Amino acid sequence: MASKLHKIPLGIHGFDEISHGGIPKGRTTLVSGTTGSGKTAFSSQFLYQGITECGENGVFVTFEETPTDIIKNTKTFGWNIEKLVKENKWAFVDASPDYSSSVEVGQYDLGAFLARIAYAVKKVKAKRVVIDSVSALFTHYQDSGVVRQELHKLAANIKKSNVTCIMTAERPLEDGQISRYGVEEFVSDNVILLHNRLNSHGERERTIEILKFRGSSHDSEEAPLLVSVRGMDIYPRPKPKLRGKGFSQKVSTGIKGLDDMLYGGVYKNSTTLITGASGSGKTVTTLHFIMEGAKRGEESLLIEFEESPDQLYRNAASFDWDLKKYVDNGTVELLCHYPEDIRAEKYLQIIQDQVIAKKAKRVVFDSISNIQRIYNERKFRTFVIGLNAFLKSHDVTSVFTNTSPQILGITEITETHLSTASDNIIILKYVELGGRMHRLVSVLKQRGSMHKKDLMEFEITAKSGIEIIGPFKDVENLMSGFARRIRQMRKEAERDLIADAVAGKI
Amino acid sequence: MAAKYILKLYVTGRTANSIKAIENLKDTLKDGLNDICNLEVIDVLKNPQLAEEDKIMATPALVKVLPPPVRKIIGDLSDKKKVLLGLNLTTN
Repeated sequence: MASKLHKIPLGIHGFDEISHGGIPKGRTTLVSGTTGSGKTAFSSQFLYQGITECGENGVFVTFEETPTDIIKNTKTFGWNIEKLVKENKWAFVDASPDYSSSVEVGQYDLGAFLARIAYAVKKVKAKRVVIDSVSALFTHYQDSGVVRQELHKLAANIKKSNVTCIMTAERPLEDGQISRYGVEEFVSDNVILLHNRLNSHGERERTIEILKFRGSSHDSEEAPLLVSVRGMDIYPRPKPKLRGKGFSQKVSTGIKGLDDMLYGGVYKNSTTLITGASGSGKTVTTLHFIMEGAKRGEESLLIEFEESPDQLYRNAASFDWDLKKYVDNGTVELLCHYPEDIRAEKYLQIIQDQVIAKKAKRVVFDSISNIQRIYNERKFRTFVIGLNAFLKSHDVTSVFTNTSPQILGITEITETHLSTASDNIIILKYVELGGRMHRLVSVLKQRGSMHKKDLMEFEITAKSGIEIIGPFKDVENLMSGFARRIRQMRKEAERDLIADAVAGKI
Repeated sequence: MAAKYILKLYVTGRTANSIKAIENLKDTLKDGLNDICNLEVIDVLKNPQLAEEDKIMATPALVKVLPPPVRKIIGDLSDKKKVLLGLNLTTN
């Protein structure tokens, strides 16, 4: 089949997405990066996955590490390259340093090197070749003109034999020239950069950037690259499409009074933001939502950043809810972490895996502010949008909580980018009135549905959790947090008027 | 002349460099060294696996296998003196 882009899957999770389909087939792609940017891991994964997942055998030409080193190092990814070598699927061309001394007398070329590669390719019927790294050739031989000429030949041979090749190159500095010796100029139309920088949090951050793919499209921004026990993973910026279904079916929040305020609950696959100060009842609200789902036998995922499983079980138990039972029987998947422990990109992955594996229908993120705290604005927005898009397209109804910094008064929720990403916004707040704190709940918006505009007072009781008592009427200035009864205000106004009249001002 | 030298010359088919290297080496060895040197010419195009075993990259390449230490000389071997020096061979 003639593929229109002539690309093949690289085999690294996320790569096909940033490259719009894979690596250019039958061509050479240069992968350049500074020391420690992951060139060897990247290129060996290209070969390994090629063999194990695409049935394409490969040749690894190694200049720096010996084949034994590579076999040993990749065992940490759970790979058995030795076996692949025995099965004639993987062949090494060992160009690692040779400690016998060598001198140059007269003219030479790299004919033996090319012959060895050709031999290895033929031996395993390779479709993929890695040369790690071509920069080493320049340090091995005094005549760089010869090296250039031979690399030209090599690139031409590769083109002819229709194998897909990755050549790695050493980059002297981040943000400097693309590669030492300007290798990119003559070996390849396709260049990938691997970056390894110190971020503002003092952590090493690896990213991948496709610089050019001649005649083909690709993402133009850097994507995070993480190395885990299973190898390398790339986390592209989610490119969500607004394509979630528009359900007319409603889902209960688990709180009767709140469902009434929402005219029957929230829409299936909608995203609800619950915003409120610390202690305003957000976690309890989310527990209602989870328990309601669990009782109906709906699988759900609860991501909790503030309380440990035991704390949650205890709190749920205080309302007579046996959360632990549902966690134990697998209806509820509970993830409790400090947000610092896991990168945002990884979270997306975990959530996606869980939702797909468990077919979760309800997801709770308590609280999203914890993620916001760690990431910059752009990254946070990207995360939220990506997560929302994924959840919607999988028909998941989700609830995010947001901790507002003030106990009383108005908090900007618009600045967090959460408000536009949310279909529904529920505000929980405290107000002070007559020397007492009252809990209030209001629905700020519900996309595509009517909702009650009243501010409702609620209580949290041991018997039933959140209980909506009724509208909080005859009170003004609620949003400021310092409420005043309207009647009382009128009385005060009248008194002022009388006083003014008495004083002869009127 | 007790020591026996084992030499391997790796070439790539009939390229100009290959032919020159063979001629130059024969010329270098003709003055009495032929007797103590056992020379094998290997074409990497025909026997690439031998090049792999000996980790040969550049051609022509002359390898002194014995006596130790192993020495490699790459190039068309156009400079007699350097070749002999590189092989640790001296002519009287």
